Amino acid sequence: MLKVLIVDDEPPARERLRSLLAEIGDTEIVGEAGGGAEALSQAGALSPDVVLLDVRMPGMDGIEAARHLSTLEEPPAVIFTTAYDQYAVNAFETRAVGYLLKPIRKEKLAAALAQADRLTRPQLQRLAAAARAERRTHIAARNREGLRLIPIDEVQYFFAEQKYTTVRHLRGEDLIEDSLRALEEELAPDFVRIHRNALVAVRHLDRIERNAEGQYFVRLRGSEAPLAVSRRMAGELRERFRL
Amino acid sequence: MLRQALRSGAESFYLPDFCSSRAALGIVLIVELTAILLALARQGGAPGAAPDFWAELARASLFLLWVGLVCAALLCWSRKRLERLTVARGSAAVLLLLSAAIAAISAAAYFIGRSQLAIGAGTAAFFPSTAGPFLLRNVAIGFVIIAIALRYFYVTHQWRRNIEMRAAARVHALQARIRPHFLFNSMNTIASLTRSDPVLAEQAVQDLADLFRASLSDQRQTITLEEELEVARTYQRIEELRLGGRLHVNWDVDRLPRDARVPGLLLQPLIENAIYHGIEPRPDGGTVSVVGELAGELITIIVRNPVAERQSEREGNRLALANIRERLALLYGDIALVKAGRFEHEYIVTLRFPHVSAQQKA
Repeated sequence: MLKVLIVDDEPPARERLRSLLAEIGDTEIVGEAGGGAEALSQAGALSPDVVLLDVRMPGMDGIEAARHLSTLEEPPAVIFTTAYDQYAVNAFETRAVGYLLKPIRKEKLAAALAQADRLTRPQLQRLAAAARAERRTHIAARNREGLRLIPIDEVQYFFAEQKYTTVRHLRGEDLIEDSLRALEEELAPDFVRIHRNALVAVRHLDRIERNAEGQYFVRLRGSEAPLAVSRRMAGELRERFRL
Repeated sequence: MLRQALRSGAESFYLPDFCSSRAALGIVLIVELTAILLALARQGGAPGAAPDFWAELARASLFLLWVGLVCAALLCWSRKRLERLTVARGSAAVLLLLSAAIAAISAAAYFIGRSQLAIGAGTAAFFPSTAGPFLLRNVAIGFVIIAIALRYFYVTHQWRRNIEMRAAARVHALQARIRPHFLFNSMNTIASLTRSDPVLAEQAVQDLADLFRASLSDQRQTITLEEELEVARTYQRIEELRLGGRLHVNWDVDRLPRDARVPGLLLQPLIENAIYHGIEPRPDGGTVSVVGELAGELITIIVRNPVAERQSEREGNRLALANIRERLALLYGDIALVKAGRFEHEYIVTLRFPHVSAQQKA
């Protein structure tokens, strides 16, 4: 029995997938979700084998949800569904990612389920760029309960330490697996690199300071500890923000 | 041509750009025609007394070319300033400016012609003994010819503008037709309903058919406001099936005259945009409100939808608005108004156009 999670914001679309899956048989619908965030919490709790994921959804879209799903310990396979989305479809085609066009045909759904694959994180990152997907709205951190979603607006900075990246946000600190370089590329210009190992949210920047030895630091709003700024970035930073 | 028409809104000044060599050539042509006209006019009178035609033409050409090219230079130089004026004021300014230029050139020609040096060369015969009548006559001829030329430029400009607007309206009409995204999602909804609720599925197919018929119809034809409201409601019904409880539309249109003549697909694209940009991206949905008023002979329709904080203006939205603006302008000219913009957390589109009953159709 294949465990399937259905994710679509339109009730008739979910209903159609339910009835098609019932006809195909050998599948069990473990849950349904109407949006990306709901899909993530369900996936963590129900550990489905396959997620049927609509691309265009309000709040968190399908491509972002897939990226967060890939950070799960046992990530499910993902099949995207879409009514019409040129960029996404081109991106799926060139990267051989499973997708179905609505109205979905039963045979195609059965075939897609038979060969559904897990997607790797770098694969999804490239896919998001090619599909011209909106920037991620959240950062996902894995913890004991499953995934913790941190709204990007609440992130103060990312800090790299050896293998992991720490994300410091308004409600605490979490470890994530994204590299600082990939985050910088994705989140510019709202985040700036101040040091080889730190990427800071522009909206939380407060001021830049200099100590007696000539070392620069930035202070963030609502955060007591100053962060070191490398000499190379200091001039650029002061110029850009007139700090 | 299309881009020019798209820039719409501000009406460009109707005179061609006299800084271009093409316009300068046009001036030379007008000048020569005037010179021929003047030379011919002098041919009358007693035989023998009439001056030689070719000599007359050469003299007139020499003088008028000076006038023409100075006028072109003045128009080229003052274009920026003229563009800011209304058509009436701009035309008056051009008439005054060029008449003054003609007076100045005539005066210069007169004094050079009457100077000792020129009298020796035998030119004095061409100038009367006092400057007054000479100047007055030249300015009067110039005034009439400039007025005719302005009229000519104005009419050609209006004619070209009309053609451009029609072309742009046709292109926009094609682009503004039903979104593929909507079509395929609706098909999916119908595929689903066919099993679960065949009666509703049947109604959805009929609604979709009506909507396509409206969008395929000749957009140059007008329909009544009642018909257009029905098309918009049909669209709403299909979207409601798809979006479930997330979509609410408040119709406050009882005060609108049902028989008013409007271009087809006037409201439906506005409702479509309001849902696509305002309701679909919101997980909890929202309300689109449509309010219609009749004040005197003016109909006002306002469509509002909530907008997300960071949402930017989208291409599709601008196209639909440009299309509606053009079609209303073709029908009602400058009285029609289409305004759109965001105000705090809402996106508001306002249409205003005169109430012309469909029966009054000319």
